[in-house]
Amino acid sequence: MMLLELEGIFKWVKTGGRRVFLLKDIDLKVEEGEFISLMGPSGSGKSTLLNVIGMLDQFNEGHYRFLSESVHKLKERQRANLYKEYIGFVFQAYHLIDDLTVYENIETPLLYKKMKSSERKALVADMLDRFNIVGKKDLFPAQLSGGQQQLVGIARALVTKPKLILADEPTGNLNSKQSTEIMKLFKQLNEEGVTIIQATHSEMNASYGKRIIQLLDGGRQDL
Amino acid sequence: MFKNYFKIAWRNLWKNKLFSSINIISLAIGFSASFVIGLMVYYDLTFDKFHPDSELIYRVTSKFITNDSEGRNSGIPMPYIVEARENFNGLEYASGIHVANILKVEENSSKKVFKNPEYVVFTNPEYFKIFKYNWLAGSPDMALNSPNELVLTKNRAKKYFPELSPNEVIGKTLVYNDSIQTIVKGVVANFEERTDLIFEEFLSVETSKKTSNGSYILDPQWDNTNSGSQLFVKTSGPLAIASITEQLNALEVEHRSDWEKKYNFSKTFYLQPLSNLHFNTDLGIFDFSDRPADKAVMRGLGLIALFLLLLGVINFINLNTAQANQRAKEIGIRKTLGSSKKQLVFQFMGETLLLTIAAALISVVLAYWLLQVFSDFTPSGLSFSLFKNPLIISFAIILVVLVTFLSGIYPALVLTKYKPISVLKNQVVSKTGKPALRRFLTVFQFSIAQVFIISTILVARQINFMMNKDMGFKTEAIANVRTPWNYIAQEKQIRFEQELKKHPEISKLARGGATPASRSTSTTVVTYINGDGNEIQTPLQLLRGAKDYIEIYNIELLAGRHILNDTIKEYVINETYLNILGFKDPKDAIGIQIKRSDELYPIVGVVKDFNQRSLKDPINPLAIVGNWGGTSFRAVHFTLANNEQVSMSNTISKIETAYKSIYPDADFQVNFIDETVERFYNQEKSLSKLLSWSMGLSLLISCLGLLGLVIYTTERRTKEIGVRKVLGATIAQLNVLLCKEFLVLVGIAFVIATPLAYWGMNTWLKDFAFKTNISWWIFALSGLGMVLIAIIIMSARTVSTAMKNPVNSLRNE
Repeated sequence: MMLLELEGIFKWVKTGGRRVFLLKDIDLKVEEGEFISLMGPSGSGKSTLLNVIGMLDQFNEGHYRFLSESVHKLKERQRANLYKEYIGFVFQAYHLIDDLTVYENIETPLLYKKMKSSERKALVADMLDRFNIVGKKDLFPAQLSGGQQQLVGIARALVTKPKLILADEPTGNLNSKQSTEIMKLFKQLNEEGVTIIQATHSEMNASYGKRIIQLLDGGRQDL
Repeated sequence: MFKNYFKIAWRNLWKNKLFSSINIISLAIGFSASFVIGLMVYYDLTFDKFHPDSELIYRVTSKFITNDSEGRNSGIPMPYIVEARENFNGLEYASGIHVANILKVEENSSKKVFKNPEYVVFTNPEYFKIFKYNWLAGSPDMALNSPNELVLTKNRAKKYFPELSPNEVIGKTLVYNDSIQTIVKGVVANFEERTDLIFEEFLSVETSKKTSNGSYILDPQWDNTNSGSQLFVKTSGPLAIASITEQLNALEVEHRSDWEKKYNFSKTFYLQPLSNLHFNTDLGIFDFSDRPADKAVMRGLGLIALFLLLLGVINFINLNTAQANQRAKEIGIRKTLGSSKKQLVFQFMGETLLLTIAAALISVVLAYWLLQVFSDFTPSGLSFSLFKNPLIISFAIILVVLVTFLSGIYPALVLTKYKPISVLKNQVVSKTGKPALRRFLTVFQFSIAQVFIISTILVARQINFMMNKDMGFKTEAIANVRTPWNYIAQEKQIRFEQELKKHPEISKLARGGATPASRSTSTTVVTYINGDGNEIQTPLQLLRGAKDYIEIYNIELLAGRHILNDTIKEYVINETYLNILGFKDPKDAIGIQIKRSDELYPIVGVVKDFNQRSLKDPINPLAIVGNWGGTSFRAVHFTLANNEQVSMSNTISKIETAYKSIYPDADFQVNFIDETVERFYNQEKSLSKLLSWSMGLSLLISCLGLLGLVIYTTERRTKEIGVRKVLGATIAQLNVLLCKEFLVLVGIAFVIATPLAYWGMNTWLKDFAFKTNISWWIFALSGLGMVLIAIIIMSARTVSTAMKNPVNSLRNE
């Protein structure tokens, strides 16, 4: 089943009256259950493409349909609903909320889904259990190592059972051992049916994916 | 969800302790001022609201109209009261209320004597039809219908007959002023709610015949108005007022006396609604110890509370928008986790509410304290326990919600506008609301503070001026003792004077009336026919003083002499009257005759002008005269030989001994003239106190806000400061750089505040006949003072930032 579809996506910024293209004529179809790695050097447009897919960033031209809905017609509120229902984000810099504990960070997306307290407790407990961080649940992000923080970040992205995980350099700040652990986790998730799109520099990480998309200067190179 | 919000809010408040406390303190000050003012307004607005049909009850007051002036009086001549009770249309009931001055009451069976009972009135039976009391014994139909009848309140009955129940009190006898036997016909419960009808003893009007009040209470003259004789009516409907006023005015025209016609005097009448009674400072209420509420004062206080509250709100807006990017990350993440903008706005409003509630709780304590500090402003019956009133509590809740909304909504909108992408890309968020708005708000804050500073200085200067200005007579080491007014005959007073003369501590003595400057003045109208045959008619104030009066007060005699003895009918006039009469040289006025009620008396002396009232009033034509009616000398004035503190109390006790030997049952009190003069300006002094507090608090809030903004800017510019320091900037240069932005704002505030303060102070000073000038240096000084305070506040932060080692700040990047 088709999850999302990009058609002729252009994105540019104007510098000194001239257009500098960040994305150039991107076509991309993603089926449910895929594991895609976006590759390319710095500035090739990986993150931008990921942000466009995640609807965090606007595009200037083209069509984007998410579950057969035209994204550019969505209002902010509807977009927020899509995040809630279908998308989980994992960031290079983890982006946990500093003032909340591990438990509360994982719980937050459930609060926005207006879930009952007992359900929330059960789901968060599952996640803590699954990622082996039960003992850390009352710590604040600053008290954790980078790898542990990223685990919390992934747990938070997964707790709402999203269809799609968007990961922007998820291991960029981690050492190789931690990296491998995270990538194995992604692979496992994908096997369970979650669609994953990750942006990465590393050939090794990219190899965990089922499909690799090469980007250079905003355009696809793998076609 | 709420628990989560609450947790986040609490952790945020706790993390930014400094900013939170600035916000809470600023808001708490505004709140406490609002609570106190709200309490006062509530207190004053709830007087006499409980009477059935209170909207139909009126007090009939008089207005005198002469050629060039108008005057108001709460009283009305007796015949109008009689007419209103008997012959008026449109009235359900009418009743006179006459304030009684009773010397003593004796309880007949126990012979217990109570001196000077307060709140005693003579009234008609209809009083109890207009105002419904709860009758504990007796009935309104059976009371006050004939002379020598009496109704007591429960409190008063308890005082006179502590052992007896209300029913047992009925039929008991009380003796007023040794001779008037009255019988208790009823006992009523005191009003439990706030009222200005504070009477405790009601005597039938006819009973007044045998008292000293009777002569005017029962006076059948149509032109004799006394403020203590009032008429209350209950109209038959809301539309009857016009007809009642017409009937009163028709009577006035019909009964105008000859002298009123001759001098073109007339009266009109005004029906004052009961709801207005508590607010009318012109006409007054019955309880002389408590002044009626002044709506102008309440408006002023309300404005101050509003300003203080606004200042707190401004601090909140400024600090939260300035700090917005600290929370940008959280907002971005929450948005990617599926939070809608509305949910985020609610979250921030919730945080604001939490902070506002904290401020409100603190302010309750502050309000308690403020009530003590401002006890001269607040009515004596106002107590902190009013806070328990549900209306006050709901007012507080509404205020908290309103302030939460005012202070929270703008920062919340600014904060939630962030696009998650910019946060997640790790871009520095530069948009932190509009700095222009923050500047505007800061200017607003400092303008208010500046207006308060200038006003405080000017008011203090005016008070200082009034206290130190030479009033034209001696005010140091001079005092007087009032002799009891019921001993009208002069023999006792002369004996008292002789007694005092024996003491060497008292250097000079003079009997007389009021002090040269006093609140109580008696004025008569006199006529002088000059050489051209023109009549010069002037109101002339009469000051009573015996032979030595002008000497002991050091009043300078310009020509002629002082009166020869106490009773001779001669005038010693002041310069102002001399000028009105048209004389240049004081000597020319000696010997001329002026006419008062068809009798001619000579001018024998002219004295230099002195202030006969406070410096708020101009110097009016005045004459010093003797004890013409035989009842005008009510005090003995004396100067003290030496002014050493040691002997002062000793001297006073000697005077008291002499006083008690002659007036054994009267109360003794020495009045020092300098204290009397000081009391003229009590109102101004409490204004000055209020202004000082407003100034202090507004300055405190504004400076706290400024401090917060400076901390924020210096933090934001730490890197820039480091770079500049590496490039060789000195600490002073850095300090100027950091303060400049804010000093400009303080400067603009000064420019805005100056004309406002000038206008306000000019208006205030118009009430004073003698005043200081508003000099430019006061403005310059207060402006400089404010700049200085701002610099000190800012430097506290900027200097320490500037002194930091640049290596540390640059390494952070």
